[in-house]
Amino acid sequence: MNPNTPTPPTEDALRPHSYDGIQEYDKRLPNWWLFTFYATIAFWVGYWGYYEWLHAGPNNHQRIEKAMAAIEAEKLSATASTKLDNASLWEMSRNPVFVDAGKATFNSICATCHKESLRGVADGGIGANLMTQTWIHGGNPMDLYNTVTNGVLVKGMPAWGPVLGQKRIIEAVAYVLSHHHEGEPMSIVSTPAAK
Amino acid sequence: MEQPPRPTLDSVTTIRDDGSRRFLFPADARGIFSLLRRASGLFLIAFYLSLPWIKVGGYPSVFLDVANRRFHLFGFTLAAQDAWLLFFLITGLGFLLFFLTALFGRVWCGWACPQTVFLDHLYRPIERWIDGDAVKRRALDAAPWTASKASKRLAKHGLYILVSAVITHLFLAYYVSVPEVWAMMRSSPGENWSAFAFIAVATGALYFNYAWFREQLCIIICPYGRLQSALQDDNSLIIGYDSRRGEPRGPVSTGKAKAVDGPSAFVAAHAGDCVACNRCVNVCPTGIDIRNGLQIECIGCAACIDACDEVMVKLHRPTGLVRYDSLNGFQGRKTRWFRPRIAVYLVLLVAGISVASWAFSTLRPANIGVTRMVGAPYIVDIHTVRNQFLARIVNKRSEPQRFVVSLKLTPPELTAIGFSGVVVVPPLAEIVEPLILQMPRPKYNGPFQVWVSVGDEAGSFHVRRQVEFLGPDPRLLREEEQENARQGKSN
Repeated sequence: MNPNTPTPPTEDALRPHSYDGIQEYDKRLPNWWLFTFYATIAFWVGYWGYYEWLHAGPNNHQRIEKAMAAIEAEKLSATASTKLDNASLWEMSRNPVFVDAGKATFNSICATCHKESLRGVADGGIGANLMTQTWIHGGNPMDLYNTVTNGVLVKGMPAWGPVLGQKRIIEAVAYVLSHHHEGEPMSIVSTPAAK
Repeated sequence: MEQPPRPTLDSVTTIRDDGSRRFLFPADARGIFSLLRRASGLFLIAFYLSLPWIKVGGYPSVFLDVANRRFHLFGFTLAAQDAWLLFFLITGLGFLLFFLTALFGRVWCGWACPQTVFLDHLYRPIERWIDGDAVKRRALDAAPWTASKASKRLAKHGLYILVSAVITHLFLAYYVSVPEVWAMMRSSPGENWSAFAFIAVATGALYFNYAWFREQLCIIICPYGRLQSALQDDNSLIIGYDSRRGEPRGPVSTGKAKAVDGPSAFVAAHAGDCVACNRCVNVCPTGIDIRNGLQIECIGCAACIDACDEVMVKLHRPTGLVRYDSLNGFQGRKTRWFRPRIAVYLVLLVAGISVASWAFSTLRPANIGVTRMVGAPYIVDIHTVRNQFLARIVNKRSEPQRFVVSLKLTPPELTAIGFSGVVVVPPLAEIVEPLILQMPRPKYNGPFQVWVSVGDEAGSFHVRRQVEFLGPDPRLLREEEQENARQGKSN
């Protein structure tokens, strides 16, 4: 048999379309192709049934909620486990683990304005002097914590809560408190001492 | 026993009329192209599989570290934010493929594509070693199940799965590095469940592809295989059959021309050189008859060239009845190497590669972002106007880097606080620090731009960002100052 002799086209109908004079036979699709096609249909039935019909699996909204909850849990676990109040912050200020971590944060962030000496304006800086017993926005540990977290926007002290997170703020506050001691006299003035 | 296929132009040889698969048993081809392809194929296998082992700049030459979103390519380290570079790299490589296809046809498919390379130089040799040559393989396939056949099938498929697993593990090493793969392999599957599933599925896919699917991928699935018929023209180099010389084909007869008689003797003989031995069909891995002309199934493996040349040499006829040539060449016309499409593809290729090179040359080992602090955009006190920024410095390198942050302080009265001295950033990490800009209040005359740049100590690179220094309306400042001055005098 001459390999050049085409199969008589009688058994395979020609498809009606013709593009650029090219026509094609109506050949059977490969079985593996059809099998793949049927398998996708079977998959679709299972998938649709599982998620949209039985609601057995989590939908996208639930997945996002779950992921957000995981992020939230991560944030919470980064928070100091002890109850946050004046007494616990004083306690942390005597703990070298907190103070050392706080010093690193303070020197890289806070020292820009408050100086590494913590003296701020008294040392040529912009921020308040944190070494004296005179405070502007309250001198109790929780006052400091709230000031750092929420900022004093009109004076230029940014809200560090969203930037640093609670853990690093607590550490930085503990570092500042380590330069003071519990029960020392404190006074509050409404404006910075040096202008 | 089923006879070897008789390929036609009307249908795909490997699919029977009822849609079932006709498995091919291509015969061995021997010759210069088989030799060269085996050599280049083994080199490419070694190349593909050794990339995760060869280190460039402290990292595997190809290490797509998805977990850390760092992509190490031959010494370049790309972070996730550099992904836009890949657009130009891939378009450049794409047009290179266009260009090569227009010039040389399917050299990629026959010589370099992993599908062909792994199949022809790894899986087919295993099959050849265990089951024997094409005749034996066809006989074994048709033979009833015996212990001997079962053991051969077991050995072959066992080896296939083994080889597939090795390839998959090394492929995984592209993503998690070799030591990490090794560590995963020694721990239980449950600890690295997703990696284990990936290995299992990918091994299965490779095994299925190379053991059964084979040329179906090239003929039916591969998009490049479909595309290339639009990229080629009558001057592209293809593998073809010289029908002017070969036809009419027929058995060897006496009085045929011989190579020593010179070309004119062939014309005088009035008979074609093709002896219809069917060797070119028997060796074809995609089951076509090259003498039917250029067909979309042809992957350009050159097996038919070697097969025909071997016969021609035995018959003392010139080789090259089946050869690399253009469609014009086979018609006896001259091949025009330079055509408009070559120029177009070349221009696109050069444009793609140049932009890619330029884009890669802009890669810096660091990045800086400067954002205004949340809160008031500016702060005014008695002496100064102040703008507060947070600068984020990203070290994209895998070792600690020392950076210098510098500002162009114009106007000269502008002062900056923060980033004095050298900033050390840990590997693949970033630091955020405040950057405060201050202007003496009387000197502030409206908003202006400030350039902040980060570089290394040697000054070998820098990345610049522009920020705007803002303040209140200068007229209000002046009025207030005059007011204060008047009050000062009156006091």
